[in-house]
Amino acid sequence: MNALEIMNLTKSFGDFKLDGLNLTLPSGCIMGLIGENGAGKSTTIKLILDIIHKDSGKITILGRDNEEDIRLTKEDVGVVFDEVGIPGALTPVQVGKIMKNTYKNWDENEYSSLLKKFSLPESKRFKDFSRGMKMKLGIAVAMSHGSKLLLLDEATSGLDPVVRDEVVEMFSEFTRDESHSILISSHIVSDLEKLCDYVAFLHKGRLLLCEEKDLLLSEYGIIHCTEEQLRSLPSEAVKHKKISPYGAEALVMRSSVPSDIRISPISIEELFVYMVKEAK
Amino acid sequence: MKGLLLKDLYMIKTYCRAYFLIVAVFLAVSVSSNGNIFFTFYPCMIIGMIPVTLLGYDEQSKWNEYCGALPYSKSQIVSAKYSIGLSAQILLIILSSAVQAVRMAITDTFSAVDLLQIIEMLISLSLITSSISLPFMFRFGIEKGRIAYYVMIGIACAGSFIAANAFGKKEINPQLSFNSVLVIICLAAVALYALSWFLSIKFYEKRER
Repeated sequence: MNALEIMNLTKSFGDFKLDGLNLTLPSGCIMGLIGENGAGKSTTIKLILDIIHKDSGKITILGRDNEEDIRLTKEDVGVVFDEVGIPGALTPVQVGKIMKNTYKNWDENEYSSLLKKFSLPESKRFKDFSRGMKMKLGIAVAMSHGSKLLLLDEATSGLDPVVRDEVVEMFSEFTRDESHSILISSHIVSDLEKLCDYVAFLHKGRLLLCEEKDLLLSEYGIIHCTEEQLRSLPSEAVKHKKISPYGAEALVMRSSVPSDIRISPISIEELFVYMVKEAK
Repeated sequence: MKGLLLKDLYMIKTYCRAYFLIVAVFLAVSVSSNGNIFFTFYPCMIIGMIPVTLLGYDEQSKWNEYCGALPYSKSQIVSAKYSIGLSAQILLIILSSAVQAVRMAITDTFSAVDLLQIIEMLISLSLITSSISLPFMFRFGIEKGRIAYYVMIGIACAGSFIAANAFGKKEINPQLSFNSVLVIICLAAVALYALSWFLSIKFYEKRER
């Protein structure tokens, strides 16, 4: 079963348009949603949760249409937003009591152990937390009610590198259970590169690509060569090129490049930047 | 909805303490104010501000977005605010009525009819304040909602002034006693509160956060 299916999702407001988005997240997998600010990542997550209403298209979460009894579906979905959204007056203990009266499957022990793991003071008010601590509390709540799907909007931003690594490890651990999945958006592409099975590039409300990460990394590469060498390559091999007085650099399809030309591996971040430039 | 109510109670404990202090002072003063209605009725306005204050803090902390990710319907989110507001108003009405009964007893002016009229006025004033403000807040958000609310109050005041000038000198119905008028206003306030609750749900369901 797919954890999430999005078909032809469209939403317009002002001069922004999310245009015919198609995404499929298989169960047990992690998908990274990569895009610049205003690309439509948060809008997509809000549309999935029906916080904002779609203009057209179809969204299925854990096999259920998101317009049919979304309350029941939300019991199985853990969410962390960019700004978390917990009121500043509340302490982690109070948040736990509220969530115990919110989720049917609230697991107090899991919540307490996550608070300890993240070293979160139980009686300190949320407004006095650092950004990293706020994120950690959001993550603790999202992972304490038996979620099958986590929707994480910039959930690793603001965390220091050590905690970020811990959190990324926790997310990996979470998806070892084949019924668990994660859709995570982040502008820290290195986290996504470490974590994700699939990546989706979003640019100005349009999906540039959605592919298995390993497949992408094996399909694409970078070459550094002279302008003449670049011209000799088949046109379908070159996806993007940059020519300077010092030589040429190009994003290429490995399969179409002659074997005598040295191809360097590409990172997801570099690939995203190339793809966005190509789309402009 | 229990989680939402609990969250609002925690928020009231932190952010609305001053309201309760002011209400306590006003009620204490009302005992010795020789029946000055200002001290009795002003606390209704203050307590009526609780749901609006809570909505303001929700908006500031982005709780209204986060809440959309929790297993609550939009109607439950709106109803939590109305329920909290209504509970606070009922407590205030009971407390104010008791204080007025004590005042009447102390000054040896106890009258069941007078007390009933005060209770009717308290109910009307309490419900009307929230009934008018909340739908604007749920429709437009706190900032724009507040402006829309003031514009609406301005229009209502101007309308009342024009109506009073046009019809003020005519006797509406000599058969109606003051008490009957109060009962009618009280029932109208209850109906207005129910309508306001319904409208707020409809507005919030359509609102994009």
